[in-house]
Amino acid sequence: MSSSIRPDSRPKLEGSAVYGVDLEVPGMLWAALVPSPVAHGRVRSVDLAPARALEGVVAVGAADLERLLPGAHVDPDRPVFPSGTVVYRNQPVAAVAAPTLERARAAARAVRVEVDPLPAVADLEEVFPEWPGPCADGSPHLAAHVRARDGDIESVFRAAGTVVRETYRTSSVHQVAIEPHACLAEVTDGRWRVRTSTQTPFGTREDVASLLGVPEESVVVEGTWVGGGFGGKGAALLEPYALLLAKASGRPVKLALRYREEFLLGRTTLPSVIRMETAVTNGRIVGRRVRLLLDVGASLPGRDFATGYSIGFLLGPYRTPAFEVEGYAVRTNKPPFGPHRAPFAPQCAFVLESHLDHVAREVGVDPIAFRADHLWKEGDVTPLGQRVGPFGLPSAFEAARAVAARWRAEAGPDSGVGVAVGFWSTGTGAGGEARVRLSATGLAVVQGEREIGSGSVLAGLASVAARSSGLPRERVAVTYEDTAHAPFDSGVFGSRTTAALGRAVEEAVLALLKDLAKRLGSTGPVRLGVDAGEVVVEHGTARRPVRELMTEAERSGGGVVASGRHYGKAGTIDEGKVEAGTFYPYHDFTGTAHVAAVAVDRETGTVRVVRYAAFQDVGTVIDRPTASAQVEGGVVMGLGTALTEEALWSADGRLLNPGLLDYRIPTLGEVPPIDVTFVEGFAGSGPFGAKGLGEPPMIPVAAAVALAVREATGAHVTELPLSAERVARALKML
Amino acid sequence: MTDGPASVTVNGRPLPLGDVPASERLLDTVRWRLGLKGTKEGCRSGDCGACTVLADGVSVLSCLTLTHEMEGRALTTVEGLADDPMGRAVREAFERAGAVQCGYCTPGFVVALVGLLRERGTSASASELLDDLGGNLCRCTGYLAIRRAVALLPKEVP
Repeated sequence: MSSSIRPDSRPKLEGSAVYGVDLEVPGMLWAALVPSPVAHGRVRSVDLAPARALEGVVAVGAADLERLLPGAHVDPDRPVFPSGTVVYRNQPVAAVAAPTLERARAAARAVRVEVDPLPAVADLEEVFPEWPGPCADGSPHLAAHVRARDGDIESVFRAAGTVVRETYRTSSVHQVAIEPHACLAEVTDGRWRVRTSTQTPFGTREDVASLLGVPEESVVVEGTWVGGGFGGKGAALLEPYALLLAKASGRPVKLALRYREEFLLGRTTLPSVIRMETAVTNGRIVGRRVRLLLDVGASLPGRDFATGYSIGFLLGPYRTPAFEVEGYAVRTNKPPFGPHRAPFAPQCAFVLESHLDHVAREVGVDPIAFRADHLWKEGDVTPLGQRVGPFGLPSAFEAARAVAARWRAEAGPDSGVGVAVGFWSTGTGAGGEARVRLSATGLAVVQGEREIGSGSVLAGLASVAARSSGLPRERVAVTYEDTAHAPFDSGVFGSRTTAALGRAVEEAVLALLKDLAKRLGSTGPVRLGVDAGEVVVEHGTARRPVRELMTEAERSGGGVVASGRHYGKAGTIDEGKVEAGTFYPYHDFTGTAHVAAVAVDRETGTVRVVRYAAFQDVGTVIDRPTASAQVEGGVVMGLGTALTEEALWSADGRLLNPGLLDYRIPTLGEVPPIDVTFVEGFAGSGPFGAKGLGEPPMIPVAAAVALAVREATGAHVTELPLSAERVARALKML
Repeated sequence: MTDGPASVTVNGRPLPLGDVPASERLLDTVRWRLGLKGTKEGCRSGDCGACTVLADGVSVLSCLTLTHEMEGRALTTVEGLADDPMGRAVREAFERAGAVQCGYCTPGFVVALVGLLRERGTSASASELLDDLGGNLCRCTGYLAIRRAVALLPKEVP
């Protein structure tokens, strides 16, 4: 097997890989959730008797929690089932299980749910019609308020040569992993055990323990193959319900969502309204003011992370001497906001890039040069006072500019080329640990994550282990354990797996090599190699079979074991600039510059992306095939956000398009050729200087497409997505 | 069907239809009655192609098909392509092109592609094949590696 071939491709192609939805054990029950019929209301009663009257049905609701969880310390703000108020449509108010899925679904329908409706608020713009202004202060709709400033912004704006003010709107988009959420729960001997399709086994363990109010050590989570995550499988969703049903029934319980429920219950990106104001004097930005209203759905007050994190991406990666940013996380009657591949960054990049392009046009300077002139370089200081680390974005931008100039010269009528950048902090998360175990024939990496598709676990970690040990990748096997056995890791999210967990793997390998050097009596560095099918330790020109360095116990199966850990640190920000809420520092500064060439049908407004190029700051490429694949996949997902994807909500909190026919993701025939180029040499904190890669390629896509549409037609679209309808409307207004 | 009780064959094995409820979807029969879980449930409404199986060599969406509609037909799932030369050619092309990421849509693509090759012959052009694969959704790859896999298919499959 060539090392460029992913080890998981064979079982997946043969159909033998077991995903969450495929789990099945003898005697298991099937579960279904009982949804709230309204988006907002007071629960009068949830009568489970009609469901329980059906043969073999077990049902649990709020009234059963005390019996099932005696002495549990649950968080009163996060009840598993609401007993007071429901806050979004389809919020589970009870769960049922039965010997067949059909009967479980019938039982769920039989539950009598009585809810006194309260006025539902689903439209962000209805909440604060007077915004911006003090209207939001103290409102019960506020989940978070963040505010930061630097400089005398009022005077700067008064004195500026030109001030450009605009308002943008972005849409609600879903992750649309093709595999629905699914898990299988068993409760035996006081252990809450769940196998689940998750990006975060340890995060799910923590969530389940907190939601059920049981000790973390009593919860065991084992990941399955994950059929796509994109942020949507990063926290507990179904596991608490399945576990409660398993406890109540004494049987294993399987709970899987139907695809429609993926849309209805999924935690994802919600709409926003963003005001951008930029003051310019003599072609230089002298001040920026940003105001963000972000819909966070039914998120809990104080639990919003998105607003304080996102708002920074509406300022940077551009220098600005004076600024003021203010963001409100607004609660509405929709499911809670959740992460989706570079959460909210594609929307921020669309707004920031479109706005600065517009500002440049307003003041009569070249839009690309204007942005290039203000772009952060390594050593610059962010508005919030953090020093910019090694940063390949300026180089990526220059390369993108050159390609854009070439493509522009070749563009036909109604065609245009857009250049946009994205910035992201990668390698985040609390940290991670890994073990390695060397046998006479190869190296096993033991850790807690499952492969979610990107290749970051099976190709990324394996490549890191191979490169740091000297073994060919075919001799490295990445294995996983459940949370009771695996070393801790934060999860497969935040572009952190290869970059951050990979560092733990590297540390483990280095500890192993050190141990082997000691056994060899060597003072210099040793490497591993393969000779006649066996692992050998190499020291200079000397080679020694590793078998000869092992103890009897190690030889008979234990292997030589070493462990490594990596708890990365973010930089620091200047808290003196923060006036309200929490802002977050960055880890590795990672940039990406994209070029989109489009053709626009002026009659219908339909945008076709005909050509695409991406220049990705990556530090060091760890595994080229999977790295390129991440960029291609990220760009195409970004094209969906740019052009077609929009979850539509009615005023009373009903999702109007919960299916793949009406919520359109990109299809095979619509995808342009994509040139992928990596910008290396601006080292991140990952192994061999690598930076995270999963999220950034998604970030500048909508921006690049919007700027290309503007160049092609003059239409300045200030809302996402750039649907044919919106583009046609913008063209009419010219 | 003239003689004997109604049945279908799945990967060469007969499945009597007597015990299968009239309302059961082929997807559920294959996955839960026969345990052939390589056929994936995605949208369950005909939009994603993850559940594609072959009926007498032609692609059908098992989520939109009642099992009884298939009476007398020979069905093939991804597991049934294990020893199939065309199945092998498609799998090798996908593997070499790096067209597999999370893998959830993958069996649907493999089965659909084998169906197309049977229908149109292995000399069909890549663009012809790709036109007809448009009903299969993938969220990971951005489809480009899948296109490269199709371009890698040998012109002659034994």
